Amino acid sequence: MKYVNCLLAVLFVVLSFSAAAVAHKVNLFAYAEEGTIFTESYFPDGRAVEGGKVLVYDSKDTLLLEGATDTEGLFNFDIPKGDDLKIVIDAGMGHKNSFTLKKAEVEAGK
Amino acid sequence: MRTKTIAALFMIPAAFMILAVHSAQAHFGAIIPSDDIITQDDDKTLDVQVKFIHPMEMHYMEMAKPKQFGVLHDGKKTDLIGSLAAVKGKSPDQDQEFTFWSTGYQIRRPGDYTFYVAPAPYWEPAEDLFIVHYTKVCVNAFGLEEGWDQHVGLETEIIPFTRPYGLWTGNLFTGQVLLKGKPVPFAEVEIEYLNETPGNINIVVPPADPYVTQVVKADVNGVFSYAMPKAGWWGFSALNQAEWTLTHDGREKGVEIGAVYWVRTRDMK
Repeated sequence: MKYVNCLLAVLFVVLSFSAAAVAHKVNLFAYAEEGTIFTESYFPDGRAVEGGKVLVYDSKDTLLLEGATDTEGLFNFDIPKGDDLKIVIDAGMGHKNSFTLKKAEVEAGK
Repeated sequence: MRTKTIAALFMIPAAFMILAVHSAQAHFGAIIPSDDIITQDDDKTLDVQVKFIHPMEMHYMEMAKPKQFGVLHDGKKTDLIGSLAAVKGKSPDQDQEFTFWSTGYQIRRPGDYTFYVAPAPYWEPAEDLFIVHYTKVCVNAFGLEEGWDQHVGLETEIIPFTRPYGLWTGNLFTGQVLLKGKPVPFAEVEIEYLNETPGNINIVVPPADPYVTQVVKADVNGVFSYAMPKAGWWGFSALNQAEWTLTHDGREKGVEIGAVYWVRTRDMK
């Protein structure tokens, strides 16, 4: 009986976390302009993702650089490479998403 | 391609059957974008069509160039009237083509985009009045769900109380009717399904006149609700008489002003 209760408690905790992850789905949007890539990370209701980890990968999944979002959810960096760039936002607790900036968009922003 | 052919096969007899019903023919201003949700994998250029139609019957009416057409995003209005191009269209049972308007709009930033139109007054001899339907539709971009409940500030408009995108078939749409910024108590709202919805292969054939246009009344605060039973685009139209008049053939005529809002539903599967 004790074992079943314990299992239910674990299940409850797991379900609560997954529900929260959906309700607070995190997003990252990026664009390139005058040699810089601008990223902004936000929750659907517009709140900024503060101190979220940003990871930038090329088309071969090689990590090019990483950084953290400021209090407005922003993180900017110089264009590292003329390639498809996969930019990942990791706000912890399973709040993770990515945005791919196509090579053409990167080149256009050089 | 195949669904298109099937759709066309269904449309012709369906159109004749609709004609036979002799329907009520409610006019609707319409703004139909190519998508209501833009994600990073989508084409970021929206095709936006502006029309004056009978949505259930698929009939087009000649539409003059609108007086105002724009988009509200991040609290800022952008005039897009110069981008509109005239296009011709008709229903399968119409023997003449009519003008509607179209534009390509590039989505560049996250957030909600509310497109709005203030058309030129349309003279309707059958009703002995002019019709002006202020029409809106909202498109969401890149997961930022902000802006959809903002007022455009039109003479009359529907403010959505339901987030107007990401709606399932069967969802309730709730909105508030405003006239000069104030709620309209007990406003009458007409609702029609857009039979011409892209991908709709089962053209709806109304079994009797009252099925063409659904009618609900708002409460004392101008708030109304309707549950949408089929996937596709739905138009909500609240009609009021303007305090101003226009002249036709030297005589003063009344003006029907409509607040129209469009939303799209999808099946759960």
